[in-house]
Amino acid sequence: MRLTLKNVAVTEGWFNRLVIGAVALGFFVLLVAGVAAFQAVRDNQFHAQWVNHTFEVEHALADFDALMERAETGRRGFLLSGARNAALTFDESRRQLGPALRRLRYLTRDNSRQQANLATLTALAARDVSAMDISVAQVRAGHRDQAIRSFQATIPLKMMRKIRGQLDAMRAEESRLLTIRNQAQADTLHFFYGTVVIAGIILVMVAAGSIWVISRYTRDLTASRDELRLLNADLEGAVRERTTDLQRANDEIQRFAYIVSHDLRSPLVNVMGFTAELESAGKQLARMMDRVEQRAPDLVDKEAQLAIREDLPEAIGFIRTSTQKMDRLINAILRLSREGRRAITPEKLDMGALVQGIADTHRHRLDECEIDFSIVGRLPTITSDRLAVEQILGNIVDNAIKYMPPGRRGRIEIRGHSDGQRAIFEVADNGRGVDPKDHDRIFDLFRRSGAQDRPGEGIGLAHTRALAYRLGGTIVVESELGRGATFRISLPVAFIGEQGALI
Amino acid sequence: MNQPQPVNIIMIEDDEGHARLIEKNIRRAGISNDIQHFTDGTTALEYLYEAPDGPVHNGPALILLDLNLPDMSGANILSRLKADGNPLKRTPVVVLTTTDDKVEIQRCYDLGCNVYITKPVNYDSFADAIRQLGLFLSVIQVPDFPEE
Repeated sequence: MRLTLKNVAVTEGWFNRLVIGAVALGFFVLLVAGVAAFQAVRDNQFHAQWVNHTFEVEHALADFDALMERAETGRRGFLLSGARNAALTFDESRRQLGPALRRLRYLTRDNSRQQANLATLTALAARDVSAMDISVAQVRAGHRDQAIRSFQATIPLKMMRKIRGQLDAMRAEESRLLTIRNQAQADTLHFFYGTVVIAGIILVMVAAGSIWVISRYTRDLTASRDELRLLNADLEGAVRERTTDLQRANDEIQRFAYIVSHDLRSPLVNVMGFTAELESAGKQLARMMDRVEQRAPDLVDKEAQLAIREDLPEAIGFIRTSTQKMDRLINAILRLSREGRRAITPEKLDMGALVQGIADTHRHRLDECEIDFSIVGRLPTITSDRLAVEQILGNIVDNAIKYMPPGRRGRIEIRGHSDGQRAIFEVADNGRGVDPKDHDRIFDLFRRSGAQDRPGEGIGLAHTRALAYRLGGTIVVESELGRGATFRISLPVAFIGEQGALI
Repeated sequence: MNQPQPVNIIMIEDDEGHARLIEKNIRRAGISNDIQHFTDGTTALEYLYEAPDGPVHNGPALILLDLNLPDMSGANILSRLKADGNPLKRTPVVVLTTTDDKVEIQRCYDLGCNVYITKPVNYDSFADAIRQLGLFLSVIQVPDFPEE
């Protein structure tokens, strides 16, 4: 369907494609945003894990530092005081140094630089710890002075400083990594926010676009609907107006037909009347001629005799038959016009009974011509004008009887069925049929078909069609010469108001 | 009691031919009453009501009325003649017209027409009908005018 409006031509295909495209784009953007968010969260988790790892390494470094300090403190205390407590502190710290280093090695296994740093640290720590072991062992062996001397010789402060330096280097490395990882985490977040913002903008655009298109389409639809409604109202008005016009034209034609035929009869009465006068005058003349012939045969003029005895009666005879025919034609027009003026009174019609009634009316002639009349099946019930329907079917049945060739076993069948809001009735006979070239003509006034060997003026079918039209129906004939005819009458199941029927 | 007065026949008919035919047939039926012929409604009404020898002032009448007149409809004249209180209410009116429309015939009888005759093209039956008017005329009641 294509609705062409004042400004735009909206096609449903175009609209559908656009809306589906917009919705698909919206969903795609949502999907992308979702994937981006998922990815960003995963990245974030990954980076957070590494940041955490950095803190763990730093923690481990601090632990190691503290252990070294505590070991050194314990050693010095032991050297100075020889207290058992100090020795215990040293032993405990000394024991934990190994695991602390192992932990550091484990934590930094992914980083070759830290591994290298750690190797240096381990070497430094090993040297320092072995020096400490020696001092503590000497004190335990009671060589305290010797231990103090060797302590002073090993310059433990320098050793410690080196170790601290190494630890600081490792911490620096970790903080460098932390900066990098924090940066990466921030980047991920930025990427995530960026994606979300872009997706949001696209979604808003798609939504706005869709709303704009839908609202425009809806506006167009509303406009076209209003236009249609207006058009529809106009159409109804136009139909009403046209029907009124038709009705008026029809009424006028009927009035015209009535007046014309009425006034045509007036001079005809004179023609007929004075023809009768002429006839009686002619008879007088003929009688006089007889007398003259008897009494004075010599006075008889041959021509006068011929005129009085033959020409005059012949002329009068022709005038009479012609005027009679004219009178019948005028009467037919009058009857049609009168029929057109008759008010239609719809009522529920039991068509089976109605058709049976028609058959009964024609019973005498049906029997006389030996015609089988049958109603096939059940005829649909309709609401229409009884007299008009009776006349329509009666005329057709009458014709079927009238044109049944003698010597043939006649058959007339009435069939009927409903077709939606129409009821179709068929009157089929096996009579002489109608030449296909006359199928339209026979419904015209004063037109007949085939051999003119039956009385009639060519009025019946014209009348029938006029009636069918008045009832809102149609009538057609299907026939072949010599093969019978089927008249098909289609009538509304319920009479729906006067139809314009021009006689 | 009154002496029976001769009945005047008043024919209102615009077609001269029809008038002549009607008159001929009336005469042929042996009716010799005076026939007054008018071809339009106006002069006919004038005669009916005003003329000193008209039916209002002078004796009984029979009116033969055609329904199609040039100046007014015959039905109009009929309804005026048959209206309540009209001095001619009891004057018999024979409607003569060309139509055999049942509705129109019915209307004429409703208006008070006494006899309705269709002018047929079959002249013989028409002549018969006119002749029967003779019988009608012979049994006609003189309107009961209070005159001495």
